[in-house]
Amino acid sequence: MRYRTGTLSPWLLLKRDWRGGELGILILASALAVTVVVGMSAFVASLQATLTDESKRFLAADRVVVSDSRPDDQWREQATGLGLASANTLAFPSMAVTATDIFQLVSVKAVETGYPLKGDLLISEAPYGPIERSGDVPPPGEIWLAPRLYSLLEVALGDSLWIGDAKLTITGTVRREPDATSGTYGYGPRVLMNLADIDATGVVQPGSRVSWRLLLSGNEGALDNFTQWLEPQLGQGQRLLGAEGDQPRVGRTLERAQGFLLIAGSLAVVLAASAIALAARRFAERHTDSVAIMKSLGAAQSAISQLYGTSLFLVGLIGSAIGCALGWLVGYFFLSLFGEELGVTQPALSLAPFVIGGVTALVCLGFFAWPPLARLSAIAPLRVLRSDIKIDSDHSRLDYVMGIAAVSVLMWWYSSDLALTLAVMAGLLIVVIAGMGFALLLLSGGRTIGSSVGSIWRFSLAGLQRRRRASALQMVIFAIAIMLMLVLVIIRGALVDQWQAQLPPGTPNHYVLNIAPEEQDALTAFFDQYQLARQPQFPMTRGRVMSVGGEALAEYGTESDAPRQREANFTYAWDLPEDNELVAGEWWSTDTENYEVSLEKEFAERLGATVGSTLVLRIGSEELEAAVTSIRQVDWQSLKPNFFVIVPPPVLAPFPKTFFTSFFLPEEQKSLLNDVVKAFPTMTIIELDIVVSEIRQIMSRVAQAIEVVLGVILLAGGLVLIAGVRASVDARVKESALLRAMGASKGLILGAITFEFSVLGALAGCMAIVGAEVAAWGLQTQVLDLRYVPTVWVWPVGILAGVVIIASLGLWSCRHVVSTPPVVVLREL
Amino acid sequence: MIKVSDLFKSVPVGEGILEILKGISFEIKSGESAAIVGVSGSGKSTLLGLLAGLDTATAGDVVIDGVSLAGLNEDKRAALRAEKVGFVFQNFQLLPALTALENVMLPLELSGAESPADKATEFLQKVGLADRLMHYPATLSGGEQQRVAIARAFAAEPMLLFADEPTGNLDGDTAEKIIELVFSLNTSAGTTLILVTHDQRLAARCQRRFAMENGHLSEVQ
Repeated sequence: MRYRTGTLSPWLLLKRDWRGGELGILILASALAVTVVVGMSAFVASLQATLTDESKRFLAADRVVVSDSRPDDQWREQATGLGLASANTLAFPSMAVTATDIFQLVSVKAVETGYPLKGDLLISEAPYGPIERSGDVPPPGEIWLAPRLYSLLEVALGDSLWIGDAKLTITGTVRREPDATSGTYGYGPRVLMNLADIDATGVVQPGSRVSWRLLLSGNEGALDNFTQWLEPQLGQGQRLLGAEGDQPRVGRTLERAQGFLLIAGSLAVVLAASAIALAARRFAERHTDSVAIMKSLGAAQSAISQLYGTSLFLVGLIGSAIGCALGWLVGYFFLSLFGEELGVTQPALSLAPFVIGGVTALVCLGFFAWPPLARLSAIAPLRVLRSDIKIDSDHSRLDYVMGIAAVSVLMWWYSSDLALTLAVMAGLLIVVIAGMGFALLLLSGGRTIGSSVGSIWRFSLAGLQRRRRASALQMVIFAIAIMLMLVLVIIRGALVDQWQAQLPPGTPNHYVLNIAPEEQDALTAFFDQYQLARQPQFPMTRGRVMSVGGEALAEYGTESDAPRQREANFTYAWDLPEDNELVAGEWWSTDTENYEVSLEKEFAERLGATVGSTLVLRIGSEELEAAVTSIRQVDWQSLKPNFFVIVPPPVLAPFPKTFFTSFFLPEEQKSLLNDVVKAFPTMTIIELDIVVSEIRQIMSRVAQAIEVVLGVILLAGGLVLIAGVRASVDARVKESALLRAMGASKGLILGAITFEFSVLGALAGCMAIVGAEVAAWGLQTQVLDLRYVPTVWVWPVGILAGVVIIASLGLWSCRHVVSTPPVVVLREL
Repeated sequence: MIKVSDLFKSVPVGEGILEILKGISFEIKSGESAAIVGVSGSGKSTLLGLLAGLDTATAGDVVIDGVSLAGLNEDKRAALRAEKVGFVFQNFQLLPALTALENVMLPLELSGAESPADKATEFLQKVGLADRLMHYPATLSGGEQQRVAIARAFAAEPMLLFADEPTGNLDGDTAEKIIELVFSLNTSAGTTLILVTHDQRLAARCQRRFAMENGHLSEVQ
């Protein structure tokens, strides 16, 4: 332990070595790995918490029991007994009537004190007045309206409104409900009333189409107990929401983002580990002579190990400290991006991300930096007399294997996804092995070319040839760094493009249902008059699936676990709708006269229908038989009109139908909705604008988060490139100094260095493009569930980036060859 | 002080074996100075490596101050060097990251000497480098670097000093001064000096001279 002070103090070793540059790379790379891991883990943990919170906010509770009949009072007693808060809500469409006999279809929601259990109910007094946060619900005898109902119904605060037989006084305006976008959409503008007044309305009778929701909240343990107790008792038309697995509408978007961040984070760690390995190797090489001298002067192996081990530990400590601080900032930044949008209080950063960061630093340094440093102690002291004695590198292959295994375990740990880990590692291994072979082949070709060209080129190519193995390795390292950076740029582009494609500006944010055939033209004219972007009108007929394969289905509403009759909107089409993907069977030909039917995948599963099943469909009072000829996967998140049941046009021809369309209404034209309702009183309008704007805002935040991660990755890649260039700088500097001593001009030396690194960069760029396209294909199609399109622009960029970056770094690293007298350079080496 | 018995060293070369040292025996008493001369490739440096315990012999033994090197592992040989052996090398072998003072302190710290900085300063003054204590090797001339190396060798007060072509990288005048310095310090410290050189003038300053030729060593009278 006495060596920890004086000339053999690890602190002094680090301080003195700072000039060499490798320590900077070691510290930066380990800090970067820790930053990425701490930032990502903090963010991903919070994102998961946020997702859960968000789903609860959309539910207005932790758990919700949805039922088409009043939930059993015993359920509430049980919940109360378990310490859970509870509240019932009841939603149904109804006609609101004013004292002046103005009628309007509205979505009634009857609530009781306590609602909402999660999130906020925002109200104002005047229709568009300042929002007051409300901790209350309409008292009995009172009713609150959505702002646009005031003009639709021509009423004011204090006026009376009839819902069924109940006369209620208008006392407030509903501006926002937490669960406005959950489950079913409202038919007509919202009115909020007290549940105590429901009996007085007389509109809710047995068999009415109503939706009861029993909201529950409390601690997870009690909720789980309640769930276990309740689930066996749930009957037809009853289900429990909010348990694990239920995701809000934005869930898939965030899940993709999370997947991207995990991949990006893992790759950043791989890059940082590579930079650490390269820097540590050069650090060890530069210390070989010093260790031989120390050993010749009497330093024991253990003293050398202790010196370098402690130094590395300090490097890890400094790197981890910097990484933890930066990671916290990155995590904080991400959380601040999302906190406001998702309207939740973010949980404080926990200790876990820092532990993960510390372990990452330990693994990166332990498996990538320590092996070459550990071998230093085994250097023969005889090297002081014979400089040809090299460091023992017999075990370096084992180091690589151990390193790869360690990084794989880390990646698995971060992602909890073995398939993803194996895919990424296998991809990297293939690139390394194939890349080495390819690089050696290319370098062999360089010899032939080199013999027939000018002195700068010949000298450069001879240099690459002389260090053939080292050059090939360097080329592969450059290729991987460039490849990983390209992969992330490609995937980020694909993610953002896909999101933008999913919800482009002008995405329809209102649906119109019940358009009578004779109203079609008038509606189109109305949209054109106000220059509103409109979508095609889809025919729609309400129908019911009565039997599957000759087996009659149980009636809707009966107590049975077996598939039951399903009612749905049927449409007809000659072509497979956009965003629908056939997963089984074949789409019908455009001249079919057969009675065929195409079902949505989950709908088919619930019915127990497969391709070939014969269905009996009831439309109105008539029944018809049709064979299932295809099953479709539908992207429900696209917010475009989609149907469970599609048939060829001739099948629905004899039946009456209404039409369905969607349109985009800008926020500032929202009041136009009242004109639509007045002009077409029989149509039903569903407002989706809140959902669309929420999803769009979250997507833009995710894109911002990805930009930050990309920046970190580019930094890690840059470090690998710097470390890679520096790995061969000593040899190049020495050769160049010798050439200068022999009279070579600065121009020749700089030209040769530039050319040599440019060739390496160009070849690495070529390999990177191939690798990046293959990896991007794999990740997009297999992991992120995105469509793959070759990114042609990346090809010239990859090569150009390879040449420019590598040549610049090479020139910068070797700059002092021409600015310092050769004798000084030779003396330093 | 140092006794060498029937020392062999061979190394594998391609498919064969190259015998570098072929049965070398001699003895140097405490305080004596000896020069080993020979042409390049005669095996001088190999012998020096074995004598200092930097390498292990294929056969035979080296005994320093009664301790047989054959029975010691690398760490024990290192400990022996720290305690009893000093070096002066042809290419100085200073640690580039340490100042002149720190380079001299290094063996003192390794041997656990007290006040290494004071002692190192004293020896640097002795070799005329009092004003160069904080200089790094790269900023010193060849002669100055060798003087730091000499200060480092003598500061630890070794019983045995090995010098490998100590003037090989120096010009005539500087070499002359270095030779004077080594011998004067050696005389005052009473150190046993074994010097490997192809410089006959330098060898002539030693009490005993050995010639190395084709793996065999013979004493020149």
